Amino acid sequence: MQVFGKTQDNLWTLIAAPTIWGGHFLFSYLLAAYRCAPNADPFRGIGGTRIAIAVATLVSLALIALILRRSWREWRADGGGFRNSQDTPEARERFLEFSTLLLACLSFAAVAFETMPILLIGDCR
Amino acid sequence: MTDRRTNATGEPNQEDEEVRRGQEERLRTVWAAPRSWRYWSAVNNTEVGVWYTAAAFGFMLFAGVLALMMRVQLAVPENDFLSATFYNQVYTLHGTAMMFLFAVPIFEAVAIILLPQMLGARDLPFPRLSAFGFWCFVIGGVFVCGSIFFGAAPNAGWFMYPPLTTNEQYTPGYGPDIWLLGLSFIEVASIAAAVELIVGTLKCRPPGMRLNLMPLYGWYVLVVAGMILFAFPPLIAGDILFELERMFDWPFFDPSRGGDPLLWQHLFWIFGHPEVYIVFLPAVALVAMIVPTFAQRPILGYSWIVLAAVGTGFISFGLWVHHMYTTGLPSISLGFFSAASEAVAIPTGVQIFVFLATLLTGRVIYSVPMLFVSGALAIFVIGGLTGVMVALVPFDWQAHDTYFVVGHLHCVLIGGMLFPLAAGIYYYWPIVGGRRLSDKLGRVAFWLMFAGFNLAFLPMHYSGLAGMARRVWTYSEELGVGMANFASSIGAFVFAAGFLVIVWDVLRPRGKEAHARRNPWNAGTLEWLTEMPGESWGVRSVPIVTTRYPLWEQPNFIDDVDKGRFYLPDAEEMKRETIITSVLDGEPLQCLRVPGPSFMPMIAAVLTGAVFIFATFHWWAATFAAMGLSVASIIVWLWRGTAEIPEKAEKNVGLGLKLPLYKSGPHSIGWWAMFITMTGDAMAFIGLIFGYYYFFTIHADFPPPAAVGPGVFWPGVALAMFALAWGAALFGGISNRAERIGTSRALMAAGTLTSLAGSAALLWGPYVTGLDPTAHVYPATVWVLAIWTAVHGGVGGLMLGYCLGRSFAGRLTPAHDVDISNVTLYWHFMGGTALLTVTTLALFPILT
Amino acid sequence: MTATRLALSTTFALSACQGSQTAFDPAGVEAERVLTLFWIMLAGGGAIWAVVVGLGFYATRVAPEQHSEKAGLRLIIWGGCGFTTIVLAALLFWGLKMMPELRRPADGPTVAVSGEQFWWRVAYGVEGDPGVVRNLPMGGVPSANEIRIPLGQRTEILLSSPDVIHSFWVPQLAGKMDAIPGRVNRLILEPTEAGVFNGACAEFCGTAHAQMGFRVVVVSESEFEAYVQAQAEPAAVVDSAGLDLFLQNGCAACHSVRGTPADGDVGPDLTHLASRRTIAAGLLPTTEENIAAFIASPDHLKPGVEMPAFGMLPNEQIAQIAAWLGSLE
Repeated sequence: MQVFGKTQDNLWTLIAAPTIWGGHFLFSYLLAAYRCAPNADPFRGIGGTRIAIAVATLVSLALIALILRRSWREWRADGGGFRNSQDTPEARERFLEFSTLLLACLSFAAVAFETMPILLIGDCR
Repeated sequence: MTDRRTNATGEPNQEDEEVRRGQEERLRTVWAAPRSWRYWSAVNNTEVGVWYTAAAFGFMLFAGVLALMMRVQLAVPENDFLSATFYNQVYTLHGTAMMFLFAVPIFEAVAIILLPQMLGARDLPFPRLSAFGFWCFVIGGVFVCGSIFFGAAPNAGWFMYPPLTTNEQYTPGYGPDIWLLGLSFIEVASIAAAVELIVGTLKCRPPGMRLNLMPLYGWYVLVVAGMILFAFPPLIAGDILFELERMFDWPFFDPSRGGDPLLWQHLFWIFGHPEVYIVFLPAVALVAMIVPTFAQRPILGYSWIVLAAVGTGFISFGLWVHHMYTTGLPSISLGFFSAASEAVAIPTGVQIFVFLATLLTGRVIYSVPMLFVSGALAIFVIGGLTGVMVALVPFDWQAHDTYFVVGHLHCVLIGGMLFPLAAGIYYYWPIVGGRRLSDKLGRVAFWLMFAGFNLAFLPMHYSGLAGMARRVWTYSEELGVGMANFASSIGAFVFAAGFLVIVWDVLRPRGKEAHARRNPWNAGTLEWLTEMPGESWGVRSVPIVTTRYPLWEQPNFIDDVDKGRFYLPDAEEMKRETIITSVLDGEPLQCLRVPGPSFMPMIAAVLTGAVFIFATFHWWAATFAAMGLSVASIIVWLWRGTAEIPEKAEKNVGLGLKLPLYKSGPHSIGWWAMFITMTGDAMAFIGLIFGYYYFFTIHADFPPPAAVGPGVFWPGVALAMFALAWGAALFGGISNRAERIGTSRALMAAGTLTSLAGSAALLWGPYVTGLDPTAHVYPATVWVLAIWTAVHGGVGGLMLGYCLGRSFAGRLTPAHDVDISNVTLYWHFMGGTALLTVTTLALFPILT
Repeated sequence: MTATRLALSTTFALSACQGSQTAFDPAGVEAERVLTLFWIMLAGGGAIWAVVVGLGFYATRVAPEQHSEKAGLRLIIWGGCGFTTIVLAALLFWGLKMMPELRRPADGPTVAVSGEQFWWRVAYGVEGDPGVVRNLPMGGVPSANEIRIPLGQRTEILLSSPDVIHSFWVPQLAGKMDAIPGRVNRLILEPTEAGVFNGACAEFCGTAHAQMGFRVVVVSESEFEAYVQAQAEPAAVVDSAGLDLFLQNGCAACHSVRGTPADGDVGPDLTHLASRRTIAAGLLPTTEENIAAFIASPDHLKPGVEMPAFGMLPNEQIAQIAAWLGSLE
């Protein structure tokens, strides 16, 4: 199976998904901190902030999903499977794709975890 | 014609024993450690790594004695074995020494010993940097620990919360200064090690070792060194703010002048939480090497371990506020950190299951290292589970700052770090000592440690929830935790006895005991190529690796290495050499000449240490003198020992392969080291910038109206000057390469001057607008950013001046331009720093 | 234990000076809910530990021979990823859901508590809000080291500090909250039982950190009202040899006794010292002997305490001061 526009994986593509998690995390934290840090009116709703974070979350999840899809397809195209210890550039590529896939799954779950605070907490208390 | 000493292509005939003996003789001479008093000028990883390890264990035993003193004091209620003031020094130093002088350095130490062996390299790329780091570590560690013998030790806990620590009224004396400056100095050593290890794993792998074939230890080292690079610098930023407040009364943490004590907690824990994983992951890395050996099969789920290491590395940076759940931050903020704290348990769980699965699918041989691995598993899982508990905010509100947390953190650190390390000692001792440790003593040690540990630390979980806060020097009888504490104290002594058995096993005289056989555990990875006892050259020849477990999977491998059938079997030019390869596929790129023994790293470390120590006692004249000398010593070191122009462009490294001896730009390891160092430096700078914007979020009038200062004009002038210097560095390098030497020298000279002018202009801004750093946190923050950037401008100027000097001395030529290309890279970071500083200081007040 | 407490609480509530300090015997809404959470996590954690360690034991000791790789990979995927992710998500949901509930607005009185080296300044009937870059609201009825709160209401404790960071912790009622200079934090106490509950400083704050305790006394709403009113009154005895000595020896530089010239603001307000269960921040029961002993050498009983020793005074003078202070109901 041929995948159109196959990328050459490297250490940067490997850490792309967790970097998106990091960006999302930092954005959520900073926005909430900016909104709530003065702590002056803890019981007023912060709907706008929650929506902004929700949007960022959806964008991050979508980006991670793209990485997931790419690495999944390329991994399958390179033969898939859990064996990637051969001495070939293909095995190295397959290893990086599969690891990228796993990291994307983890990042997806981690970002999904970050949605829970905005669902369950509605103000600055 | 060919004689029997050369083969058809004119290379030495490796099958001839006489040829080999000659090569071995040369290699041995080249790599030999210096003798008598010059021994301490050694820089090779086999020496420095062992010193480093021994020193870290020395500090660990010292901190262990402190722990036992605490346990005696707490054995019964209302005890008076230690006074309150002394107890506070003891517990502070226990935590400080265990974390900063043992847990983190031992990673660096072990990695310095093992990594080159695992990668079939002769040494790490910057051996003198390792030596410098080691000497910094020893000097700083002795300074910090020694303070307790003068009753002057830090006494406010290993995380030093201000305002208790920043205000001399609450903590008189030098304790906090010693902590701050001593440890800042050690942090420098850690960052040096991180640079060394990242370049080591990425560029010093043996030919053919693609990323998918790298030993798992290498992956962990890469991740952990990367974490150090992002975690330690914010603490350095925090240290700078802290010491400016304590020494010069700049009010970063003083709320009466606009500061906020919580800023320190943020900066400290941005470092402090990743640090837990910086401690934990290298120990797991040892387990990842031990488990396959004793399961006698390759690891099952290699990619999953990479996932776990990289994933943990990232997510661990989203946990820092879980040390601050009770500081009254908004629930939603706490929620994000709680979510990340739960998420980080996923990769940790994966790691454990990968080990279990590997054991399950292998044919397990049970031995002492496995015993310690099993103990680690049993204890660490407890720590992990209680970690999941305290990651939940409401539960942590109860458990925080109690003995529950003390119990939890010791389960994590001892189960997750000390037991794997003990497994590592039993497993790897043959590489260091040439002999195996005693199985019998190992079992005794294990069972004492395991039983002692559980007796000591499990009751603490109870004591904590029963109402015992941590860091108390005594407790009342009515609290009802007397029995639990007594048990903890007994357990602590049993545990210590177990550890002493290991110490005895390592140190006991061995007489004529036979050396271990080669590869005694029948392992599959390169470090077991070591002969028993080991040779100083590391590997006889640098092998071509085509599998993950070459000793298992590549036929006739050991013999091929020994007979020198791979690369660099000789040291014809009597120079220390190793091979540099490409990141992805390990293609050979360069034959690197690594520097040999030198006292310069030690001298530079002593002088740098003097700067910190003199500053602690406010001996300013001596401080500045030491500063000048230490800069001078570093320049001498660099001038004489780096970027040497080789006598020929390339050399035959064997098997018909010719490799260049000199590389510059992104292909040189010096460039990588500069890039990595500056990434760390940028992180510290971001820590300071974070401080500025942090105050912006909590104050309505921060920054105050633009009229207050530093204004736009002088910062603007500074930025223009820095831009010119940046351009001068860039075009100086380009014209040098284009052989326009005159232009290049003029640009370097101009760059030196403009960068110094830029630094002056940047400082002039806040000065001329009358910003008084002691008056309020705003001027203090402006000053600290201006000083940071001005100092970097000064260093940048010095670097350009250095290049100018090298050019005149003929050490920097169009073809050999490592110096200027690395300095240009520095200036890219410097340019960014200047841009961000000036934008923040001059433009942000206008925008708000 | 809880039943005994209920039976005794009415009779002993006012006479017992020692409560207990264990989170295992909750008497407040937050402490109860957290303890339930703990027991469930402990049970679940114990089961997980047993399975993981059991698996390790099985793989290495019981059946060290080879098993299929397929089984191993399944273990990683389902055990390492699937199971952990689901359990952690569920726990996180539970923990997050509790937070806004526990931090609901108060419907009872507001009490300002200031953690100071090494005691607790208390003020009833204050008006104020939490927040950053602010100090505790001033005014109200002053007291120290003992806080009364009404049963059946959600009392809001406002916390801050003028010196270093402290942390306010009454394990039987709720989790802890830091008292941070320059910030005002809020903590809700919602007791479910009357009684005396011991509290402690949980954040290291200096030499006497270990001995910076306090008491929270939960009483009925009417008793609470009466108590605050009584505390607002000036001191009961304003004419005695003990008072004269108190003033002569400079005690008033630090301590207030309302109704007398003593108006120091550095140490605890002593106007109704004898109405409190303990002296020296939860350290000793309030008896004349203990007061005298503390005056004579505070640093011996509580190393690091800020109060200077008055051991140079003749014993009888110390006894007179102690007798007077002991009469300040």
